[in-house]
Amino acid sequence: MVKDLVAFLHGAPVGARWIAGGIVLKKLSIVFILSCFFVIAAHAQYPPRPPKPTPEELAAVAQGKTIFQQNCAVCHGTNLTGGRGPDLIRSDLVRQDKDGNLIGPVVSNGRIDKGMPSFPSLSPEEIRDLAAYIHSEVTIFDLHTRMPGGYPNDIPPSQLATGSAAAGKAFFYGAGHCSDCHSPTGDLAHIASRYPKPTTLEQLFINPAGTLAFSPTYRKGVSITATVTLKNGQTMEGPLLQNGEFYVSITGPDDWNHTWPRSDVKSVVVHNPVQAHIDMLPKWTNQEMHDMFTYLETLK
Amino acid sequence: MKRLTVVPTILILLALGLAWAPRSRAQGLDNISVLNDPPTKMWPTYNGDYSGRRYSPLNQINERNVKSLALGWAFQTGARSLETMPLEVHGIMYITAGNEMWAVDALTGRQIWHFTSGRPGGSNKGAAMYKDKLYMTTPDDNLLCIDAKTGKQLWSIPIDDPTLKAFGGSAPLVVKNHIIVGTGGDTADLPGFLLAVDPDTGKIQWRFDVMPKPGTPAWNTWPHDTDVVTRGGGMTWITGTYDPKLNLLYWGTGNPHPVENGAARVGANLYTCSIVALDPDTGKLVWYFQGSPHDTHDWDMNMTPVLFNGTWHGKPRELLAQAGKNGMFFVLDRTNGKDLLSESFVQTNWYSGLNKRGEPIPDPIREPQPDGTLVWGSTGTDWQAPSFDPQTGLFYVNSQQSFGVFYLTMPGIHAEGWAGRDFFLYSKSMMKAIDYQTGKIKWVHDYPGREGLEGVLTTGGHLVFSGGSYDDVIALDAATGKTVWHTFVGGGMSTAPMTYELFGRQYVVFPAGGTVFAFALPSSAAASAPVKPQGN
Repeated sequence: MVKDLVAFLHGAPVGARWIAGGIVLKKLSIVFILSCFFVIAAHAQYPPRPPKPTPEELAAVAQGKTIFQQNCAVCHGTNLTGGRGPDLIRSDLVRQDKDGNLIGPVVSNGRIDKGMPSFPSLSPEEIRDLAAYIHSEVTIFDLHTRMPGGYPNDIPPSQLATGSAAAGKAFFYGAGHCSDCHSPTGDLAHIASRYPKPTTLEQLFINPAGTLAFSPTYRKGVSITATVTLKNGQTMEGPLLQNGEFYVSITGPDDWNHTWPRSDVKSVVVHNPVQAHIDMLPKWTNQEMHDMFTYLETLK
Repeated sequence: MKRLTVVPTILILLALGLAWAPRSRAQGLDNISVLNDPPTKMWPTYNGDYSGRRYSPLNQINERNVKSLALGWAFQTGARSLETMPLEVHGIMYITAGNEMWAVDALTGRQIWHFTSGRPGGSNKGAAMYKDKLYMTTPDDNLLCIDAKTGKQLWSIPIDDPTLKAFGGSAPLVVKNHIIVGTGGDTADLPGFLLAVDPDTGKIQWRFDVMPKPGTPAWNTWPHDTDVVTRGGGMTWITGTYDPKLNLLYWGTGNPHPVENGAARVGANLYTCSIVALDPDTGKLVWYFQGSPHDTHDWDMNMTPVLFNGTWHGKPRELLAQAGKNGMFFVLDRTNGKDLLSESFVQTNWYSGLNKRGEPIPDPIREPQPDGTLVWGSTGTDWQAPSFDPQTGLFYVNSQQSFGVFYLTMPGIHAEGWAGRDFFLYSKSMMKAIDYQTGKIKWVHDYPGREGLEGVLTTGGHLVFSGGSYDDVIALDAATGKTVWHTFVGGGMSTAPMTYELFGRQYVVFPAGGTVFAFALPSSAAASAPVKPQGN
């Protein structure tokens, strides 16, 4: 998707760039009719997006829209966000499609097992127009919507792999101390193929526990445990549930929740398996991050 | 509040040049001067008064008896979560959520009326009151006027276009006979503005545009090889403050567009990420201070401009302090916007120094890059209100020490909307008490296991109220930051506590989860600790 957007902003064939502006102009006229003058003032400064589409792009999207509304909208919704059929705006397949190369086969053959009929009568030109229209809608949506959790398809690995794999490898075995715990043939074998999003891999090697690393909860499969020692001398160890100002909670060996008031607790020793990553956080440079990603990208 | 007789009320109104005739209002907000004083019996505005200090002189609840605080009442709205800052005026509390409002008996928690526009929900940060009318902005960016007695809608006007993802929801601010309204939204390129609206008719009195006009010096803080300056940013989605003596309105503005793409808009990008001081009668800009020039990290600088008077280097001075999302604490002379102090209150690596105006100079290497850049201090604090306690001279702000990676996803000068993405890789929450004279941190109160940022209330009882870890609400000793009271309310707080006094009893209110909790001393304890407002 990002590649699409970048391409689109640099003049890719899909004639979507102008559409945001077109939509605004259309809304302006609606607002003009329905609202009082100050709303006009609010939008008078909101200009159409240059440049204008070519007549061919305009025709393709318009034609695609007609095809879509006649054939697809009944299941995928007039705004493409789904109904009986899936949401196309957030569809991975749509976002990976180029000029209908993925959308086309689905349309032509259907997905009979999932209840989608085939549309064998649509010509290759019509499918290309249909794809142009769908992509233009996706683009408008993305421009106007910050999608929670990021876009479905991520930044491509090539955009992140700007460092040196050799330097990354040296860092892995040297200053980064990664090899103290990890091995490219052991736990990290094929690591670059394991995550659909390259940015996920980058975030994970920096901090596998995410932003809650300092919290007693756990995330992304990183289990933080604690040994709780009470003032009466008893100890218990287990996954840490709460390590707050007032209470401490763990799951005990008996699988039950155990909670103590802080006043009864002598000490809580937290065992965080990714502590080395957290200690490392202040040390990362941008270059080391790029080198490490580039190196891990070689572990397909 | 002292009830004024009709004659002095008329004199005040004439002095203020207001057109409306004074009428006896049993429970409306008929005494505009109450807004000039620190909140005691009432909490009549978003921040309790005009100053944004969120300091109440009430001290019936204090550091000695706070341990016996007990639930007075709770009101369940049914909303999933609340961002509302309730108002309390003459025994009635006004609570908002999305497109809804409730009037609730502030003595008992009993619902008086419930209003819903029937439009989509979303967050809502609170209402404003003028005489017997209430004003709220909605998630679909309308301004509604509601009859405070009946809960019936009197009129509504659109603020901006929700189909372009503009949103409302911030509390309006009443200044004289102006309802001041901001707006939000930064997914599409929308230009920010403030409106002043007539309280009776809904007519627009003036409009202030955050984007500068051609021919002004601010115009030249944007490039002109694209139309980026006309597009957007500088949203105004957090309620500002007002100095009646100087007759200046202070408001924070949000980030410039395209978001997180600096190459598309070389320059400081005024008046985004700034505090603007406006004439509230005309909307004309008097001064500005840009806390985050050329922002590339979505550092809205909408955080409350807090007004207080203090001694600065031996001389009394009228001050304004702001703790920004960019992790910087500023103290300004609020008469002219001159910077007196600029200090980081979290660890940061994104700026290389200060310019001669006291504004941070961004380090280009920390601008979002296609392959990512690591940024310390990626959210120092957020919109939830801080507090200034004149008794301690400390500025209390809930903050995050955070670390993130910022990617530029839409390079080039034609980027639009969100042109970058940021991922938080680490964050740790704490309350910080900042000495405004030095910018030094007096104390830190850690919140283990929490990432949230709640608003803050300080009181004459030497207490700081806020939310704690694990859905607790807490009271801290204002001088030391030590916890003196806490209780578990079973829902996160995403707004700030407030306080008021009714029938000789002080209440401290926490909206948490979908419920509004009002705590007070048990009646016997309250009787032995009469309400004696302290400090000013």
